[in-house]
Amino acid sequence: MKKVLVGGWFTLPRLSREDFSLLMRQGVKYDREMGFRIEPETDLESAVRTIRSAVGEEVSLVLRCFVCGRDACDGCPYLETCDRTKVSSMCLCGEHSPETDAYPLYVKAASESLAG
Amino acid sequence: MWVEKYRPRTMAEMVGNEEARIAVSLWLRDWKPGKKAMLLVGPPGTGKTTLVGLLAKESGTSMVDLNASDVRTKERLERRIGEAMRTVDLFGGRSLVFLDEVDGLLGRSDYGGVEFIKDAVKATKNPIIMAANDQDADEIRKLASSCVTVRFRPPPPREVEMYLRRIAAAEGREVGGGEELRSIVTRSGGDLRHAVNLLQSGGTAGSSFKEVSPSVSQGINAFFDAPDAASALAALRTLHLSPVEKVRLLHTCVLKAGLPPADLAAALEVVSRADLIMGEIGATNEWRMLRYLDGLLANELAPIVRGRGKYVSEDLPFPLLLRIWNDSKKVRELSARYAAHASTSAASARSQDLPFLFALCASAPFRESLERALDLDETYEKFLVKEAGR
Repeated sequence: MKKVLVGGWFTLPRLSREDFSLLMRQGVKYDREMGFRIEPETDLESAVRTIRSAVGEEVSLVLRCFVCGRDACDGCPYLETCDRTKVSSMCLCGEHSPETDAYPLYVKAASESLAG
Repeated sequence: MWVEKYRPRTMAEMVGNEEARIAVSLWLRDWKPGKKAMLLVGPPGTGKTTLVGLLAKESGTSMVDLNASDVRTKERLERRIGEAMRTVDLFGGRSLVFLDEVDGLLGRSDYGGVEFIKDAVKATKNPIIMAANDQDADEIRKLASSCVTVRFRPPPPREVEMYLRRIAAAEGREVGGGEELRSIVTRSGGDLRHAVNLLQSGGTAGSSFKEVSPSVSQGINAFFDAPDAASALAALRTLHLSPVEKVRLLHTCVLKAGLPPADLAAALEVVSRADLIMGEIGATNEWRMLRYLDGLLANELAPIVRGRGKYVSEDLPFPLLLRIWNDSKKVRELSARYAAHASTSAASARSQDLPFLFALCASAPFRESLERALDLDETYEKFLVKEAGR
């Protein structure tokens, strides 16, 4: 299972020219040093299909916590039902889960990000 | 309604699409003439329109907005927003031009609207943001080539739960271990509005969420049996249907209720007004008008149909449906032609002018002159006579 952190850099084995250009058309960013990255404009469903066929194994998207940037999918109660190719790219980790009254922290993080 | 009460007041208070929000905000901050326009694509209810409104408010930029599906032709787009795209104010201040639902410009009804926008985004002196629901339409792909595209998606379930918990806490609603809340989150499919409505419907009827999630048939039957407007309102709010589905289902149930003609006419009049509200919301995106929909149905429809109808699961007979579809198509076409002729919107023509035109069509000379002026074929003759006779 290939884990891909949405919004984080990840590497892939050398791709064919067709697969590479397909990924670029699907909105995946590439940097020679860092590797590949899923962007807000990425066509996620298509990109996952391309990566799956290129690496020959299942691809599991992992969302990042908007508050702290950590893996948000680990231990998530919605893991089975959440289609990560269809939801927006950031979520909340266990430490900042809804039970912990995360909304004020979430709004604070959003304010800081929007303020640039 | 809680969806209105807890509507985000700032961009930071929104939930989901964090990177998209940041991207749009940065794009506006760095915008200068020559920079590409922005295209927001994503399903309805993901916050595209809300974000643009808040962005303009927070950046102190005035906004010129237009629902593109309401104005399709190049000439009318030019008239409505052409000036706003080309000019800045006396002090060099810019306006944000927002074209919502640009999907509405596409397809067979496209009278140069897409070309107008493509040209305008190259020459504009003001930032332009467009929003579209259908990202896969060919024309949207073409438009996307001259824009910075940002995708909007429903928020992940954990964020929906966070938002619901915040509302539940503010309303003093006990959510316990959260299993019921998680059930609402899963059922909402990421639609925040639907999730909040589900949460509120639990609150309205009291007790636990499971007990207050009646089936559609139970909700409709409760509406028909409601002893007063408050009970009718509570019944409507337990229905897990979109407003359009709700109005459509009540229409079917009213038609099949076996009411005497005068009561049927009065009931259909109310349903028709509810449908007009939906049409107005569709044209203007003023979703806060939804608050009037349930009130109208509870206060005006419920007293007419009280104790005299019930839920009907089957659709209307096909011949009747066909007649309704045909009449609706005629009304739409007529509105569009009249709107082009009278320089008004099709929505205004439909809601304000057509009733008078139909009444005037009782006069044969007027009818004939109307047919000539709007270049109507002979199939309209029978239709206009029928409408005039109502």
